[in-house]
Amino acid sequence: MIFRRRRKAIFRASAIYLAAAVVLLVMAFPLYALVLTSVQPENLMRSRDLQVIPSQIIFDHYQAVLAPGHIVPLRQGMLNSLLVSLCTAAFCVLLALPAAYALARLRVPGSKAILGVLVSVYFLPTTLFLIPMFVVFVGWGLDDTILSLVLTYSGFILPFQIWILKTFIDRLPVELEEAARIDGCTPGQIVRLIVLPLIRPGILAGFVFAFILSWIEFLTPLIFTNSLKISTVALGMFRSTIDIQIGQQAAAAVLTLLPVALVMIVFQRLVTQVMLAGADK
Amino acid sequence: MGNAPLPATVRALAGNQVETVSMKRRGEQMLGLLMAGPALLVVLGIYLYPAVFTLVLSFADYDLVRLSIKRFVGFANFSSLAGNPAFVQATLRTIYFGLLVSAVTTVLAFLIALLLDQKFYGRGLLRVFVVLPWAVPPVVAGVLWGQMFHADVGFVNAMLFQLGLIDSYRIWLGDAWTALHVIAIAEIWKAIPFMVLFFLAGLQSLPQQVFEAAAVDGATATERFRYILVPLMTPVAIPLMLIQFVWAMKAFDTIFVLTRGGPAGGTTTLNYFVYQEAFQSFNLGRASAAAYILLLVTLLTVAVFAFIRIYVDRKWRRA
Repeated sequence: MIFRRRRKAIFRASAIYLAAAVVLLVMAFPLYALVLTSVQPENLMRSRDLQVIPSQIIFDHYQAVLAPGHIVPLRQGMLNSLLVSLCTAAFCVLLALPAAYALARLRVPGSKAILGVLVSVYFLPTTLFLIPMFVVFVGWGLDDTILSLVLTYSGFILPFQIWILKTFIDRLPVELEEAARIDGCTPGQIVRLIVLPLIRPGILAGFVFAFILSWIEFLTPLIFTNSLKISTVALGMFRSTIDIQIGQQAAAAVLTLLPVALVMIVFQRLVTQVMLAGADK
Repeated sequence: MGNAPLPATVRALAGNQVETVSMKRRGEQMLGLLMAGPALLVVLGIYLYPAVFTLVLSFADYDLVRLSIKRFVGFANFSSLAGNPAFVQATLRTIYFGLLVSAVTTVLAFLIALLLDQKFYGRGLLRVFVVLPWAVPPVVAGVLWGQMFHADVGFVNAMLFQLGLIDSYRIWLGDAWTALHVIAIAEIWKAIPFMVLFFLAGLQSLPQQVFEAAAVDGATATERFRYILVPLMTPVAIPLMLIQFVWAMKAFDTIFVLTRGGPAGGTTTLNYFVYQEAFQSFNLGRASAAAYILLLVTLLTVAVFAFIRIYVDRKWRRA
């Protein structure tokens, strides 16, 4: 009997570890393979023996794609993307913060409807908006500028941003603010001394999400930019899918991925928390 | 006595009070609108105005050089789309692609969540690796799977060849049918983490007593899975599947990177079709019409999902 139970436990454990191994292989191996390709010499990759553990690690591909004047405008693209993403994130937080506070705390006429519209826009295909935006930006002479990207990204990200910040404000007990008011705080002081410090994680989360979403956006810069000068990092990647060595392509992909992955790992807890906050809604 | 008129002073005071309260409320409303205004303005500028503009365009012939509408053509854009077999195929393909991606993602994510819900050594590490693809930008996911399925240097060919499952290297992206599924794999791989997290949260909030009670009553593991776990998780799964479906309908980056809609248009979904019509053929009118058809297809499917959810809820309540 005991023997049998133990055999069952062993069977169960091995089933779990087998499943874990399969999941690990499917989910993590492609990423590993990408990094592997980016640090191996071209001739090794072309050879037909399957090599999963690198016998030789080189950084030539990274050097090549980061060199100025490479056909993949990666260095410039990363700088542009950094600028655009930081601007967008700052702009979004600045606009979303008062909006979220108003929608959470003040009696704004039609606030329910506003929130409904904000959520439902995510069901709509992006191409629906990009055609007229393209026409408008060309009309205003704004096509091929960083400003056009910041404006469009902000429009796409703001609904999500307002929603994130509102969840954080909703979680604050109103009594805190009421107590402060009774103690003689002005509305400005209440926001500055009580609300802002308490929702700092929310602001950080909003900033991080806006940054990531701007960094990875592909379709908007594809349509709005022509000159290489303002090419973003994601767009640079696409140029690299044609006619470049596979190792350099992998290196460019790793460089595109790296900032997002780093941000995500650093803020893992916060990111998960924000995502799951949606489960209540 | 009770009906004695209030002294004039009291009435005046009360009236004043009422007035200040309503003024205060109006002030608050104004302040609220003022605070929400700039954000709403940007959102409306980027969403509502273009959405209306696109609707107008879908009935028009647009001159891209002069940036003006040449003339209105009624339903000509729509009928020309309906008569275009490439468009009809793209529509069907989009629905197939959306259903495939959302269904497979849901099933795999549920199984992975079940695994991560068990206690075993290295669970935390596995969780990190499962969540990681979520951080991968769609473009990079496209490049990454493009390299995995690369005809010459791809690991998929190498592995299958070593295992003896194929006798020569295959050109996966050269055939429309397999290429479409490579794109689906990229989308599924990218989408799994998000759903796993939600399923895990759902699993962890399940009442454990129910399972224990069922085990005491002699229900086998399969029975507990089939009659308790699956019904309890269905309300979690349906909205997730819906969100995933909508996302898959919008897939663009992976298609662009992997196949550019080819070979021979075989991996063109509606979203990609709109892009091609607008920015390669420069027919903004027809592109707009196609964009609205995509919206319509999406909304219809959402409606079907909502209907299923109501049906499941009702069935669940009756049981």
